[in-house]
Amino acid sequence: MSEDNQKNCGGNSPGEPAATRSNAPMWIIVATLTLLFLGGVYFDRHSGWFNPRVYAPYQSADQLEAYQPKSGAAAAFAKGKGVYESVCGICHGADGLGKPGMAPPLAGSEWVITKGYNRLSHVPLEGLNGAISVEGKDWTMAMAAMGAALPDDDLAAVLTYIRGSWGNKAGEVTGDEIKKIRADLGKNPAPATSDQLKAMPE
Amino acid sequence: MKTGIGVFIAAFAALGASWAGFVLAPALQLGGTKVTTVLNSTDAYPVQRPGEAALGLQVYRANGCAACHTQQVQQDGTSFEVVLTGAGKDPVSVSNLAAGLKLTGLTKEAADAAAKSLADAGGKTETHLSGTGADISRGWGSRHSVAVDFLYDAPVQPGSLRAGPDLTNIGARAADANWQLVHLYAPRAIVKDSTMPSFAYLFEVRPATGSAEALKLPAGFAAPAGSEVVPTPAAKQLAAYLLSLHADAPLYEAPYSQLAKP
Repeated sequence: MSEDNQKNCGGNSPGEPAATRSNAPMWIIVATLTLLFLGGVYFDRHSGWFNPRVYAPYQSADQLEAYQPKSGAAAAFAKGKGVYESVCGICHGADGLGKPGMAPPLAGSEWVITKGYNRLSHVPLEGLNGAISVEGKDWTMAMAAMGAALPDDDLAAVLTYIRGSWGNKAGEVTGDEIKKIRADLGKNPAPATSDQLKAMPE
Repeated sequence: MKTGIGVFIAAFAALGASWAGFVLAPALQLGGTKVTTVLNSTDAYPVQRPGEAALGLQVYRANGCAACHTQQVQQDGTSFEVVLTGAGKDPVSVSNLAAGLKLTGLTKEAADAAAKSLADAGGKTETHLSGTGADISRGWGSRHSVAVDFLYDAPVQPGSLRAGPDLTNIGARAADANWQLVHLYAPRAIVKDSTMPSFAYLFEVRPATGSAEALKLPAGFAAPAGSEVVPTPAAKQLAAYLLSLHADAPLYEAPYSQLAKP
């Protein structure tokens, strides 16, 4: 028994095996790194980078965005219908015919089926005060600035819906134009009156 | 023990990594889930279940319904459809072109190409997206389930085994409280070969009083002559909960669109 051996065994009885170190086989290192790499590729392609809105079969936020159903006008129109029914329809009616004593009709209204939509856009953005004549009848109930809190695109969609429903055939409204009109108005504009609206370009 | 500290660090790292993966990452990812809106609309989603249905969730839980029923629809892929909505100035050539194109079951790229070629010819198109997969073709839903579907459920009952059908949209498939109650009392009165156990103990068989709540049972399952079967409050709550199961609204994270109904 050599002294060397005794040291290795921690002074135990002779002949016991000693723990030794050896290098990990190269193939294990290569296999581990390959698996890590493949895992990284899979994660990159399928996880959406922890985005809580990305679920299979979608693979990334960009793909999900690209797959949103939007058929241009059709999607805006559908959105406008939803906004109209939850915000405007309570007073103006889901059929756009208005409610006696409350709100004038929008179907066929001379304020709605104008060439441009500048005048019309001011009504939801500013609200309305005083009497307004619609289709030969006077309406006196004030309107709050119902559209002031809506995002530009939602307001544009609802105006598009109003101008294109119930037999109305006026053109589309874009969010960019609403943004401009809103910027010109500034914050908390005073409610418009019928005469002020008439003075504006259509 | 010379390697004690090393073993401790290795064990701590292994447990810490799995905790980070199974607890921390999902909490960061979905912990902030809040009410969202239905796609292309301002309707809030989801809405709170009515009180009776919220109590019914606990009845659902107590009776172990989730052991045999899932509440999660899976989706394998997407399919696009291009619909011609306007023929433009030259309707004949546009409709001839449309007849020659494949317009359903498309990939996004193919749908965009078809829509573009029709638009170039002067036609107007709409592109519609629907989900595909075994669950969707069974009629269990139109889209995959997402975290927000379960926002108001405590605890959530997603289930993991399908001895019975998925119930994500049972409130839409069988929107009739009497159907739900009869099915709970006597499953085989409605589905002949059903393997679902009868939940008769949620009902009371009592001398007939002509109650409006008495179940209308088919022959062979009816209560003995002179008696009637009425649901207990628990059965009514469970039925209300089942009727409230309807997680099918299109969402940003689970989009689909269908042709507008005329």
